[in-house]
Amino acid sequence: MSTTTTPPQPAAAGGAAPPAPPLDTNNVTLSIDGQSVTVPKGTNVLEAARTLGNDISAFCYHPGLPVVAQCRQCLVSVEKNPKLQPACQQVCGEGMVVHTTDAQSTNARRQMLEFTLVNHPIDCPICDKAGECTLQKLYFDDDNKDSRVDTPKVEKDKVVDLGPHIVLDQERCILCSRCIRTCDHVAGVHQLEFAHRGDHEVLTTAPGEQLDNAYSLNTVDVCPVGALTAKDFRFTMRAWELEATPSVCNGCATGCNVEIHHKNGRAWRLVPRHNPDVNAYWMCDEGRFTYHDLREVRLAAALIDGLPAGWDRAVRAAADKIKDAGAGGVAVALSALATNEDNFALAKLAKSLGLSSVLVAAKPPVPARADGRLRVADVNPNTAGVAEIAKALGLATKPAFEPGALDGVRVLVVLGDVLPGVELGKVDVIALASHERGPVGAAKVALPIAAWAENAGTITNDQGHVQRMHAAFPPPGQALPGWEAVTRLAHAAGVTMSWTHAREVFKDMTAAVPTWSSLTWVREARPLALRFAGSRG
Amino acid sequence: MGSSHHDTHEDQGAGPVIISVSDRHPRSKTIQVVRPESADTTFLAATAKGLGITLKHFAKNLFLPLKKLSGRAKAGAPDPERFKNDIETVQYPEERVIYPERFRGLHRLTKREDDSVRCVACMCCPTVCPANCITIVPEESTDSSIEKRPAIFEIDELRCIACGLCVEACPCDAIRMDTGMHAHPVEDRADAIETLESMLARGIRSVAQQGGQGANWRETAVLPGPEKHTTPKNGPPGSR
Repeated sequence: MSTTTTPPQPAAAGGAAPPAPPLDTNNVTLSIDGQSVTVPKGTNVLEAARTLGNDISAFCYHPGLPVVAQCRQCLVSVEKNPKLQPACQQVCGEGMVVHTTDAQSTNARRQMLEFTLVNHPIDCPICDKAGECTLQKLYFDDDNKDSRVDTPKVEKDKVVDLGPHIVLDQERCILCSRCIRTCDHVAGVHQLEFAHRGDHEVLTTAPGEQLDNAYSLNTVDVCPVGALTAKDFRFTMRAWELEATPSVCNGCATGCNVEIHHKNGRAWRLVPRHNPDVNAYWMCDEGRFTYHDLREVRLAAALIDGLPAGWDRAVRAAADKIKDAGAGGVAVALSALATNEDNFALAKLAKSLGLSSVLVAAKPPVPARADGRLRVADVNPNTAGVAEIAKALGLATKPAFEPGALDGVRVLVVLGDVLPGVELGKVDVIALASHERGPVGAAKVALPIAAWAENAGTITNDQGHVQRMHAAFPPPGQALPGWEAVTRLAHAAGVTMSWTHAREVFKDMTAAVPTWSSLTWVREARPLALRFAGSRG
Repeated sequence: MGSSHHDTHEDQGAGPVIISVSDRHPRSKTIQVVRPESADTTFLAATAKGLGITLKHFAKNLFLPLKKLSGRAKAGAPDPERFKNDIETVQYPEERVIYPERFRGLHRLTKREDDSVRCVACMCCPTVCPANCITIVPEESTDSSIEKRPAIFEIDELRCIACGLCVEACPCDAIRMDTGMHAHPVEDRADAIETLESMLARGIRSVAQQGGQGANWRETAVLPGPEKHTTPKNGPPGSR
């Protein structure tokens, strides 16, 4: 659903399961609370129940992590089995009859919850997880009673510094080991483990280690309580004040699906969004921090020679420059950091100006980033998309930093603020940029455009997935989406472009690019208020 | 007057009398409007009745026992007895009305034993506030047992609708509206914003159970010091 190329994910809830075809060796059919459900072989009971809309309570189970069945919060009764079984570990069998709401299993889960709460401090008012906490949700859903225990709670360490990004509250920890498994299996490093036993058991760093892997903040996402908190987000905002808009991380060519959590036109954090084809449930720490850049050195007004000028004067000045430079004197630089729509609009303008080749502005690759997991060397989110568009429009591409790329060029129209290693010399720069840095500082004309979180459009990752980004909030000041800035510039230069919405640019683009002809535009997503989103821990 | 017309309509039971219906727009109709009787429009009877009430109170107040009148004149000490009189006029500013105990006045923030702010910046009050008048910016406390405290706590008293939901929502007895004071008159809108410092200056210590539960968790507190939490320290209620 989130991406334009990936097939829709199975519906999470509701509806009767379709009747099982006979002699299907890949599926099994079982009964959960009297409802028949058919699932692929190897599915566990907990996932099967979720397809029926029955969300069995659980702490340690996470669909992206190995099953350990150690919280015992998902106990269910299976007929012909004398003992209760953890639903996360119980693989579905043909003809299995499962009860999740009978007295025995309901009571067992309630007792497990009470047991978990015995030493939990219940400091929800000051806990950052409140509002998106699994334990808080289960307590209100299932129990909501005062503690029956009158002995003092076991005291553990409160503010434990685990590494550069994360703080641990050992008292809040319910020892589900999700974070340990996240480090082991997502980052591939063993940096966390349990120490001591019984009610003195605590989470701690492995000997000689600290929690500093490139994927460490995923542990904060998966923590079902407020034990692990990100220093970056800690105490800044309550979860329920935020709204979530689906987007795609612009940190590198992987294009991890993310949610932008924002409030009042400001992003407060990025969290990964599930996409089995790209990033599963995870994203890297570096990508998470890219939202900080949205508020730094933003270009909010159209500039001529560094002075505010307003859109009309600025595009006229830019058009005059282009006319003066003549046919051979203009070069256009597409951006591997901008959306497909912005690049397509600018490529169309380049075609209209009679160019046969375009430059591509991009950040240099960082080979040290590549780790064979999610991080890759190419730190430009849309390298593949720019190449595809240029090819479809019959434009040759060359890297902007190539020597001699600007020979004979008097005016350079550049998308974005990245132009590393380019000797501009006496070239007049017309920059369409979201930030006032790089070539924008010396630009003759600077036109403000929306940054990635403010822009509706698509980007193409290194696997060729064309992924939809939604605009989380409006761009600052006079800034406009990149394609719209191109349209205005084109009008001033006497080129007609009639787009009024990114959707229309997308439509023309998919008609022009053969490999994208089957893609459809995903409707604008309304921000989801986390206040009403329930627990997401 | 109006009611009599209303009654007439009800008697007819079929709505107003329709004089004509438009040909082009059948829903447009001309109806008979019932006009008031001339006896009603002169207001003579009503005026006489009102004058009678005024005269009654005038006579009552004129011949009141002098003892009660002199008692009322004492500044700063409102006489509860005066409510037994019929006089509603208060000799402000010498005399001021005692507000009910549950009157919701200017906010204040309570303090801990060491006079630091009790608020833990849980954001319950700005969340529940229907007027969006509370702004809290949290910060990490130097005391790890407290963890979180407000760096900025501002209430825009011009926006506040004095609903008291912030007090209800507070799990720590940190914010109260029991000062009995009105929001100050200001010459600049910015001056109407109460800050952490100004609300803490009015604050008293609370020893209610932090994050307490149950109906009476605030009342388990024994308030130190001479002041009672329902009576402001300086001057009568309503004074600045």
